[in-house]
Amino acid sequence: MRGAEQIGVREALQRVRAEIAAGRRFVGAYYDTPGDTREICYVVADRDDLTIVAGKIDEEPIPALSSELPAADWAEREMRDFYGVRFDGIPESRSLLPDANPWANRRGAGSELSTILYGPVRSGIVESARWIIETAGEDFIAVYPSMFFKHRGLERLFTQVDVARATFVAEHVSGATAASHATCLARAAEAALGVKVSRAANATRAALIELERIHQHLDALAKLADDGSLAVGSAQTFAAKELVHRLLAEATGNRFARGAVCVGGVFDGVAQALQVVCTRTLDGLEHEVRSVVAGLFATQSLLDRLINTGHLNADVVREHGAVGPVARGSGVSTDARMSADYLFSINEGDEVLVVDGDAAARARVRAEEIKRSFFIIRQALSVEGATVRACVEPSGRNGTGIARVESPQGELVYMVRIVDGALARVWIRSASFANWPLFVHALPGNIFTDFSFIEHSFGLIQAETDR
Amino acid sequence: MSTWIARGLHRGIRTTRYPGAQAEMPQEYRGRVHITEHASQDALQHAADACLSRAIELSAGSARVRTSRCFQCGECARRAPEAVRITSDFELAIVEGDPETVRRRLRDQVRSLGRSVMIRHVDAGSDASCEQEVQALFNPFYDVNRLGLFLTATPRHADLLLVTGVVTHAMAEPLRQTYEAMPEPRVVLAVGSAAASGSIFDLQDVVGPVDRVIPVDVRIPGAPPPPLAIIHGLWVGLGHASAHFAAKSST
Repeated sequence: MRGAEQIGVREALQRVRAEIAAGRRFVGAYYDTPGDTREICYVVADRDDLTIVAGKIDEEPIPALSSELPAADWAEREMRDFYGVRFDGIPESRSLLPDANPWANRRGAGSELSTILYGPVRSGIVESARWIIETAGEDFIAVYPSMFFKHRGLERLFTQVDVARATFVAEHVSGATAASHATCLARAAEAALGVKVSRAANATRAALIELERIHQHLDALAKLADDGSLAVGSAQTFAAKELVHRLLAEATGNRFARGAVCVGGVFDGVAQALQVVCTRTLDGLEHEVRSVVAGLFATQSLLDRLINTGHLNADVVREHGAVGPVARGSGVSTDARMSADYLFSINEGDEVLVVDGDAAARARVRAEEIKRSFFIIRQALSVEGATVRACVEPSGRNGTGIARVESPQGELVYMVRIVDGALARVWIRSASFANWPLFVHALPGNIFTDFSFIEHSFGLIQAETDR
Repeated sequence: MSTWIARGLHRGIRTTRYPGAQAEMPQEYRGRVHITEHASQDALQHAADACLSRAIELSAGSARVRTSRCFQCGECARRAPEAVRITSDFELAIVEGDPETVRRRLRDQVRSLGRSVMIRHVDAGSDASCEQEVQALFNPFYDVNRLGLFLTATPRHADLLLVTGVVTHAMAEPLRQTYEAMPEPRVVLAVGSAAASGSIFDLQDVVGPVDRVIPVDVRIPGAPPPPLAIIHGLWVGLGHASAHFAAKSST
C-alpha cells in the first residue's frame, strides 16, 4: 500500500508518472506532516488497489503534476491554498478558496463578454456554491466554479475525536450519504489497525450503501424531472425517495442511516432490524421505484431536455479522473464495487456503462443502478453469520490505512493515519471533489436554461466537496 | 402527462394531516434524549462522556440534556443505557424565553402575512441532509403547500427564513445579506442541530450557530430534523397554538 523507505517528492512524482503510464488512475494528493517531515502523498488506483506514493518535501517549489495531468488540478491547488505548499507550474492561478473580490479575476474583462456571479445563495433549496459565468448572451462561453464556502474544517475535527467515535464525524462530511462516509472512514481505520470485520457486517454495510444509492439516485432523477417541468413525475419520484428514508428510519433509527455503521462493523441490532424491515417492505418499495423510474423514461418531453445536453466525451472524463455515474455515463469504468476486497463485490459485467456522455446517459446510469441495487441488497441480506462488532483497541497503535467505497456519487476515498492510538491525519477525497472540475467542461455549447439539467445530471454534494 | 395523473389517482391520498392531527415517527427513530430518574452518578458520567457534542451536562449530581446540541447518534444510550432513554419524540423545536410570550409575539408578527407564507432557504454550511429534508416538505407525504407555505425565489418576498448548517466563515456575510434583504416582519428558523447550536463543530474553524450572525426565533434540533419536525418548527414559528405543539424553552 505504501513503501517504507523515505523518498523525495521529485522521485515520488516519477513513480506516479510511471504508475499512470502503466494504466493506473490518479485519485488525488494530500499534504501530511508525519513526525517532523512535510510530505505530499499522491494516491493512484487500479481496479483492486489504492497505492499511496509519499514524497518528502525536500525542495520547494515542487513541479506541478497538474501541468501535465488535469486530474491533479484541484488536489494541488488545495495543498497550495489551504496549506501553503508552493508549486511551480500549476496552470490555474486562481485560488480554490472563496474569492473576496471575484470581479478582479474575471477573464472576460474588457471584452464583449459579460460576467455573472451566480451564488453562493441561489434560489430554491440548494447547497451554497458560486459560479462565475462568462457569457455573450445566452451561451456559456466559460464557467468557473468558486466553491469551499462550506468549508467546516472537518478533516481537522477528526483529529480531536477518538477512533471509536470517528464515524460520527464522517457522517457530518455528507449527512445525505452518511452510510458511505461512515463505512469508508471505518474501513480505512480498520486497515490502519489491522482489524478484521465479519463478512455479515460488511454485507449489512453494503446493503445500507445500496439503499443510500437508491435514495440519492432518486433525488437526482426527481430534480431532473422538476427541471423539465414534470411536476407530477417529480413529486412521485420524491415520494419514492421518501419511502427509502422511512425504511431506513425503522431499520437504523435515522432517516439517513446515521449511527448505524461503526469502526469494527455495524452497531448491535442494525443487521437484524434491516433484515426484518426489508423482508416486509423491500418488494413494495422496488415495485414503486421501478414504476416511477420507468414513467420518467417514458416521458418524451423530459428526455428531449436531457439528450445531447451537457455532453462529455470519454477522453475528457479520463483526463480529469472523474468517477461515479458521471464517468459511467461517458462509458468510463470506475466502479469501486468491482475491487476484489470490496464489502460485497459485484462482477465486472454488472457495472452499468452508457456511452452517450450526455445528461440522458447519466440519468440512465442512475436508473439502471437503482434496479441493480435492489438485487445487491437482497444478496447482501442473505449472507449468513453474526455481525458481532470486531474488537477495536487503538491505544498505543500506529498505522496508515486507505479505503474506498462506491458512494452514490462515485468512488469515495478515506485515508487515516493513526499515531499512538489517535487520529493524526484524516484525508477525504470525495466523489464530488473529483467530479466538480469536470462540470465546467459539460457547459460550453449549452445555454443558460440547460444549467440545472446539467447540474442535476451530475448529482453532486457540496458538503463533501468543501468539507 | 395523462399517465402521470392516472398514476397519482391510483396511488390515492398519502399526505399526513399533521399538524392538524397527531403524527408519529417509527418507534425506532432516535428523537429526544431523556435522562432516567435515579440514575447513578457513574452512569450519568458515562452518558455525558459518550457525547461528542457535549449535549449532556452534569451539575451538582443531576444531568440535563441540551437537545439543540444533540445530533442523535445514540451513543449515550449505547454506553449508558441505565442513565439515558431515547424516544421517537420529534417535536423538538425550541424558542428563547417564555413559550407563551414568544408564541404571541410570533403570531402578532405574522398576522399581517395573511393566508400564505413565503419561505426562503439559505445553506450556511450544512452536511446536505438538511436540504433534502427541507425539500421533502414539498413531497406528497408532507405537502406543506396545503398549509399555505410556499417557497420563494427571492428574499424580497420572503416572510420566513430557513437556515441549515453551522455558519462557516465564508457564508456569514451572504447569510446576513439575505436576512437584510427580507422585508419585516421576518421569522428565522435554524434547521438542524448544527444550525441551532453549532453541535460538534469547533469554533476555531466555523463562525458557529446561526444566532451568532442573525437573530433566530425558533431552533429545530435534529441531524437532520425529519420533515415532521420541520413542520412542527414552522408551526411554532408562525405562532400557532395547540396543546402538543407547545415549544420548549430550553437549550
